[in-house]
Amino acid sequence: MVTVKELDAYIDQIPPAPKVLQETIALLDKGDLVKAAIKAEEDKALTHYLRTLVNRPIYGFANEVKELKQIFGILGLSNAKQILYNYFLHLIVPKKWELFEISNTIFSDLQALLNINWNKLLVSIDIDDKDISSSIALLPASIIVCESIFSSKKEDVELLRSVKQLDYNTILKRLSGMDLFDVGVKIAAKWEMPEKIGEILQTASGVKPSKDEQIQKLGKYMHLLFFYALSTPKCINSGLNDFLEFQPDYIADIYENFSTVIGVE
Amino acid sequence: MRAVVKDRIGTFAPQGFIDGENARNLLAPNDITATANLKVDMLLVSLKKVVFFNKNGMSILISLLSECKKNNSSVSLGFCDYDDSKFVTMMKFFEDDHSISLFRTAEVAKLFGQSTKEEKQKNILVYSDDPSQRNALTIELHERGYNPIATLTREEFSSKRQSEETFYEVVNNTHLGLFGKKIGIRVVDNAIIYSLDGFLDAKMNDIFDMTYHHNSLSVGFTLFVFDLNKVIAMNVHGVNFFSRLSSAGAEYGASIAIIGLSFEKTPKAFQEELEDGGVLFFDKLEDLLNNKEIMAELGGNEGSIKQSKRSLTKVIVNELPNFIAATVTTLEMMTNTKAIKESAAVQKIKIENTDKMLASSIGFYGDIDGMMLLIFPVNIAKRACELLLGEVTENTEDLLDTLAEFVNIIAGRLKALLSEKGTSIEITLPRTYEKIDTLITSISEQKGVQINLTFKDERFTFFLTR
Repeated sequence: MVTVKELDAYIDQIPPAPKVLQETIALLDKGDLVKAAIKAEEDKALTHYLRTLVNRPIYGFANEVKELKQIFGILGLSNAKQILYNYFLHLIVPKKWELFEISNTIFSDLQALLNINWNKLLVSIDIDDKDISSSIALLPASIIVCESIFSSKKEDVELLRSVKQLDYNTILKRLSGMDLFDVGVKIAAKWEMPEKIGEILQTASGVKPSKDEQIQKLGKYMHLLFFYALSTPKCINSGLNDFLEFQPDYIADIYENFSTVIGVE
Repeated sequence: MRAVVKDRIGTFAPQGFIDGENARNLLAPNDITATANLKVDMLLVSLKKVVFFNKNGMSILISLLSECKKNNSSVSLGFCDYDDSKFVTMMKFFEDDHSISLFRTAEVAKLFGQSTKEEKQKNILVYSDDPSQRNALTIELHERGYNPIATLTREEFSSKRQSEETFYEVVNNTHLGLFGKKIGIRVVDNAIIYSLDGFLDAKMNDIFDMTYHHNSLSVGFTLFVFDLNKVIAMNVHGVNFFSRLSSAGAEYGASIAIIGLSFEKTPKAFQEELEDGGVLFFDKLEDLLNNKEIMAELGGNEGSIKQSKRSLTKVIVNELPNFIAATVTTLEMMTNTKAIKESAAVQKIKIENTDKMLASSIGFYGDIDGMMLLIFPVNIAKRACELLLGEVTENTEDLLDTLAEFVNIIAGRLKALLSEKGTSIEITLPRTYEKIDTLITSISEQKGVQINLTFKDERFTFFLTR
């Protein structure tokens, strides 16, 4: 149904990171918000994406924010980089969702929900690192990869899932030896993202613990945050709640802090 | 969210967080109705992958589940797969709500299902803080043919549990709500055993699942045993029910046996009347099950299918491409390997090597009727099993379970394909065969379409007959 060859072909057709985007990120890494905003403005699609995203209600700005300099200024270095990383996924987001009943608006809302709560969690565990902050942006790549790989095989997969509660990640792993997160990491490498992001992403799958204590901890928070987001009514209705297997035992030791920070009640 | 249905138990498995805001989205009314329509005896929500729930969310789930009782009052509702702390929370929330049951695990829930494989004499360790619950659990398990061992104190339970391996299952942190009264069904070898209690009167027509019975006949079961040990009395409506069942089964060469009926309040003349109609009477279940000669004669032994004299129709042959497409694509999907068609012919079944082969079959009826038989080399079965279980297994029971799932998937796919063309069929329960020699012999005179395929040099046989 799915072979390694097909997965390689899928990764091959992923476009490389646009030059302007790479240069903007490099300027952010140097700490120059103003130059980064000026550079970003050279790409109209990127400018439009940033304006639309930041003005979503979830970001809570009272008035519309139009200027990129203003946007970058409000967001700060870490958050600006995080949102630029969101844009990477925008490059591979499907025009039409078929496997999941989702729209690009819902997908963007999911990205925003993850970003905002990830930042809260990082503050609670005293982590201030631009790469770690940005790593959350790649998490929903697993959803895009899943949609792209399985949308043409929807009926087959549904039949399989009707007899056994298998999630897409497990199905892909058993069929090809690679899972959605492995594909995500390959995409991150293609976009020349820092290696650490790939490592956190793997750990966030809930089935690949890391030997690095910090990455392991971050992976647990990311795994739980993912399911917090996937438990929203819109994600449940779109079929996203059961696309990946949640591992409650994996996150048991960080649950209390998570629920306090996020305000689960 | 779709439920997975197995052994007539439908299970929804939400993940993550459940609260008043999202609970309605987790269980769509359409999904509940669709699951209830599959004639399930029990509808469960598994909490295995749930990290948080609150009372609002759970109350909404219960009210959604309860909707299905409007059409099927005998379905039992509940939650399963939780840890100790979730059980305590659930009990606080719903101690006085008798509409739901709580089962520590899905396996424990299965013990209380209406349809079980024979698990006679299997020891089940039982404990509940609540004496009335302890009694209810013990009685229900006993009624289903298990050997419940109730422990009175927590200390006694903990002590006995240390030798957990001596028990087939441990039932604790489990709470039985109202159980829908249905007829219990067990399968022993190739005999179907229905357990009834109370009074057998006109209500038999309402509580007996005739569709299940027809399915069983269609798939080749020929011995139906009614365990009436707990029946107080039977009136003329009960007699008529058995007479009709016996006549209806005659077309399939099926037999009806009645066990343990007391004649204290039932006229002895009823037995003579039913015996004239071909119904057999035995005092004890063992008298029948242990009598190999009678069991063989009645078709109750494992591994055979009653010979059919019916031949394939043109309509079925016309639909053959659909049968093959459903089988091949499903097998390709589950083994992730390409199939190569070797040969196809209308013939009597011919299997060159019956060693290391397993089989599964499923019947279909409606606009067209017949039976599909799939014969797998053990290696293909293992590969298909690997996808469902995530590991290579040598356990024959797991392999046979997978083959039953597999033939179910194929039949489901076939049903959908035929439905697109306006042909409506229903499918029976699947059957599996660990040894295929007897099976092959039992259908050796029947003609059908045999298609041989190879998957990575392993031969797989598809046989379609009536």
